[in-house]
Amino acid sequence: MENILELQRVSKTFPKSNFTLENVTFSLPYGAILGFVGENGAGKTTTIGCILNTITKDSGTIKLFGKEMLDADTELREKIGVVYDGDNFPAYWTATQLSKIMAGLYTQWDSPLFQKYLEDFHLPAKQKIKHYSRGMAMKLAVAVALAHHPQLLILDEATSGLDPIMRDEMLDIFLEFVQEENHSILLSSHITSDLEKVADYITFIHNGRLIMTVSKNDLVYNYAVMRCKESQFRALESKDIIAYRKRDFQIDVLVANGKEAQRKYKGVVIDHVSVDEIMLLLVKGERV
Amino acid sequence: MKGLLKNNLYATLSNAKVFSGFMILFGLFVVPVVSQSLQIGYVMTGIIGFSVNAIAITKNEFLSKWGKYKLTLPVKRTDIVKSLFLNQMIWLLVGTLFVGIEIGLSWLFHGCPFDFAIDVLTMFALGISMSLFMGAVFFPAFFVGGEERSEVLLILSLLCAFGTDFAIIGVVNILLEPGIATIICGALILLICSLLTFALSYLLTAKIFKKKEY
Repeated sequence: MENILELQRVSKTFPKSNFTLENVTFSLPYGAILGFVGENGAGKTTTIGCILNTITKDSGTIKLFGKEMLDADTELREKIGVVYDGDNFPAYWTATQLSKIMAGLYTQWDSPLFQKYLEDFHLPAKQKIKHYSRGMAMKLAVAVALAHHPQLLILDEATSGLDPIMRDEMLDIFLEFVQEENHSILLSSHITSDLEKVADYITFIHNGRLIMTVSKNDLVYNYAVMRCKESQFRALESKDIIAYRKRDFQIDVLVANGKEAQRKYKGVVIDHVSVDEIMLLLVKGERV
Repeated sequence: MKGLLKNNLYATLSNAKVFSGFMILFGLFVVPVVSQSLQIGYVMTGIIGFSVNAIAITKNEFLSKWGKYKLTLPVKRTDIVKSLFLNQMIWLLVGTLFVGIEIGLSWLFHGCPFDFAIDVLTMFALGISMSLFMGAVFFPAFFVGGEERSEVLLILSLLCAFGTDFAIIGVVNILLEPGIATIICGALILLICSLLTFALSYLLTAKIFKKKEY
């Protein structure tokens, strides 16, 4: 399958904070949504920074549309829509001014489409952004990201600050966006339920290291948590354990294939696993 | 580039409107009163003031995520820097025209308040060069020092510009005999030096900004 975005062993060290992004490797196929999950400070924004060249990577390769993006590759950036968490635009602008500025920046800027999004999102075009609520500002950023007909959306916590109804509407818009087979989304989020709804793949990152990438189908149908007693845990083969976490009276064990584990280890309670639980097990649990 | 210039224009416009109001009121006082020092003060305030307005937007740009967002737009980093320098040139021109009209009106009603009409050239050259030196120092310093130090960097840039201009004037006065030729020569040296420094500063700022991470 062809990829719209490919990261190969991308590393970046910040000596002052002692944080290192280490050999991050993942890819995003055309027509897919990849959820990027990790705790605060895990390296999500640094990875996105490396992809978008706002941060210079120390090593590794990043290919966008099959090509490494340099500062001069403005035509590649024409095809990317970006939404950051928080104040994407200066507060003293209005949406109308923003549209005029963007029209001077993107060759494919679609003012009527932007106006349509403003109406759909109930955003007043002539009001200054500083008078917008956080949710409204995020909706405006999404409208800007979509109004120049991008192929790739990179969303860094784009749904945070939105109420559940608006979040749901946004997710529908994202799903509609990827209906076009050459469109993809990289969606970094803390709200794992959003990712469960829309993502085709989920990539977990922790302490600057990529832990794993899993397809949502795999996650829903195969991944599971075994609730083991001490004796049951001791009987497990280490190759079956992805991560485990000791609780008061049981040990939760993350396995890649719940059905196989059920056949192999009789009498152990096996539950489906949510993205939240996987993240907790991978971050707070131990590896074999 | 068009979008970047529009962005800078919108960013500067709001403060520039307030400053223009002040300059009009100040002008209403300067035009009827015949005073050499008042006219010098008016010219310097106008030319430098509009430039300060243009420079001051840089902080707001990079305090919000907009500074980072701009790097994801289909523009080169050098274009972002170029747009900041061009914006300052535009507002320098606006300031020069603004005070030029007021001074022109004053002359129309009362004649030239200076010993030599050519003195006005020095006055404008001084204002323009001070603005250019200020920008030339501020922009690279801003990208090295960071947005949180922008106010102090702006003051230091203004002081550096002031010092450089008066150092040049001092050297010219020592080297050349007093006279109209010296006045013209001094004004030209101020303009050429400041323009060259401004151009070199653009290259330096572009180099610094290429390595900046957000």
